Amino acid sequence: MDTAEIGILMLAIFVASIFLGFPIAFTLLALGFGFGYALKGDIIFNQVIIKAYEITTNDVLVAVPLFLFMGYIVERANILDRLFHSLQIAARNVPGSLAVATLITCSLFATATGIVGAVVTLMGLLAFPAMLRVGYDQKLASGVICAGGCLGILIPPSVLLILYAALAGISAVRLYAGAFIPGFMLAGLYVVYVISRVVLNPSLAPKLPKSETEVPLGQILYELLTSFFPLAMLILLVLGAIMFGWATPSEAAAVGALGAMVLAAGYGSLNFQRLREAVYLTARTTAMVCWLFIGSSTFASVLGDYGGDQLIAGFFKGLDLSPWQFMLVSQVIIFLLGWPLEWTEILIIFVPIFLPLLKIYNIDPMLFGIMVALNIQTAFLSPPVAMACFYLKGVAGKQVTINTIFAGAMPFMYMIFFAMLLLYIFPGLATWLPSYLYDVR
Amino acid sequence: MNAFLITVDKISAGIGKTFGWTIIILTLGASYEVIVSSGPVRAITGSLPTTWGYDFSYIMYGTLLLMTGAYTLSRNGHVRGDFLYRNWRPRFQAGMDLTIYIVGFLPAILALIYAGYQFAVYSWQFKEKSIFSPAGVPVYTLKTLIPIAATLMLVQGIAEMIRCVICLKTGAWPQRLADIEELETAILHEQQRLQEIEAKK
Repeated sequence: MDTAEIGILMLAIFVASIFLGFPIAFTLLALGFGFGYALKGDIIFNQVIIKAYEITTNDVLVAVPLFLFMGYIVERANILDRLFHSLQIAARNVPGSLAVATLITCSLFATATGIVGAVVTLMGLLAFPAMLRVGYDQKLASGVICAGGCLGILIPPSVLLILYAALAGISAVRLYAGAFIPGFMLAGLYVVYVISRVVLNPSLAPKLPKSETEVPLGQILYELLTSFFPLAMLILLVLGAIMFGWATPSEAAAVGALGAMVLAAGYGSLNFQRLREAVYLTARTTAMVCWLFIGSSTFASVLGDYGGDQLIAGFFKGLDLSPWQFMLVSQVIIFLLGWPLEWTEILIIFVPIFLPLLKIYNIDPMLFGIMVALNIQTAFLSPPVAMACFYLKGVAGKQVTINTIFAGAMPFMYMIFFAMLLLYIFPGLATWLPSYLYDVR
Repeated sequence: MNAFLITVDKISAGIGKTFGWTIIILTLGASYEVIVSSGPVRAITGSLPTTWGYDFSYIMYGTLLLMTGAYTLSRNGHVRGDFLYRNWRPRFQAGMDLTIYIVGFLPAILALIYAGYQFAVYSWQFKEKSIFSPAGVPVYTLKTLIPIAATLMLVQGIAEMIRCVICLKTGAWPQRLADIEELETAILHEQQRLQEIEAKK
């Protein structure tokens, strides 16, 4: 066996070992050490420690715990019910007002927290019963909650995009600017879809009783001012600071976390207990993500030493794919990986395998990253894994079956595919804003 | 044996939780950097961007991720590809885990301790300072944390292996300490509990 073949063997052993269910960070580290030692002896100790230290001092990844912390604080700020209520009365004259309000609440909250499970379970307790009570179609009601809850993966300041920027070695700032339009485009598509469905078939979403919709304008404004605007301002502050170059993503994340604490304090829901919860959860999630990063960068560097990446690149070159075919193949693989794996694993372990290939096909790594962020949302919506659907089922109880929820989420998944297609045909959707903001004209 | 496991868990969790609070220091420090270096504040107070801000933020972040690793292991919080694993009987899970702990985890963590120790010793020899800023921020302390973190991981790993052995003997995973859960997990547990109460009525 030549070294490249041993590299492929290493990759194969790794893929097989995923099935054994051991914490992957350590499997990667062990394979990196083992195969590295076999190839180059004692030098491997130095190599691994340098890789680990690189992750430990990575100035892009600094933003990860800060955004997580911001999310956990916002999650605990007791803001969701106010937010939903204010948007619900503000949207009262829109067809399917509750569903539209749910979508907007979900996207805003998911954007601020970036945590899919929390949004879906909280909205499943809050908006889902509210929609069913007035006779909304169960599928529509479940679809908007599941799909809306996943938007935080794509809309900046998304943690996924920060991780991708660190993996691909591209500017997180440009990536955020690039994801801005596609993110709001997808949210917009969802809203348009819901409204058109309801206009065509009003029985899907009966109008609210008059007593609930006759709210004075002053009260609507007041409620929006005290719930929607503070959170929207916080997000815009963070995004603005990043996109206009006032602060690096990690600095902006710190300001966002501070702002979230101020916000929570303003709602009277910042106490020591909640702060402690947010701190501990941040610690655990950070360790999970960053140790996985240490494992995967060790593994990848040893795989590179064996020339395994060259072999993969050669294989793809031999397939003689055109760029669109490569994009399709890579995205289908990522979609399928969403079945057995969690998004952190797909992103940190498998996406880096595709990254060196982008140059061959002349695909913009930024565009590819946004495609991945779109694609990974489908993993939360598509059976059999469909985490978002199961979270909703968990809180919705017996009133709805899991198959109804799957069926409800399905159209939204098709819309994600549609958005990916749009983005591929019109890459300007992603590239225009960053080049407008940052390229010298 | 259980007392030993709980003690190890408590040590890992205590260290992890204590160092978890660095997120607050990081938040405040980095926010301070943004505020003093922003245009309006500089115009009024004449403040300059800090010379230590960059080093400060990655050192806090690095400390956080290193020192919480063992705590996360004690909570079974490191991500697994568990789509097959979760359907196995506990005994089979434990046997598989124990095998990989011995052939994979132990050598890897021991190697990390060895490599990290040499890395730190070398850095201590010349009291290494950061190359990124004129403030001369020391980085040998952060480098020292790598072998320390790996040692904590080793101790927690040994506790996890004992858990595997107990499970192999009894056929059930020993109970872990209760800790804060993700909101969705907490809500789902609460819902299940309510449904069980409903069912009993």
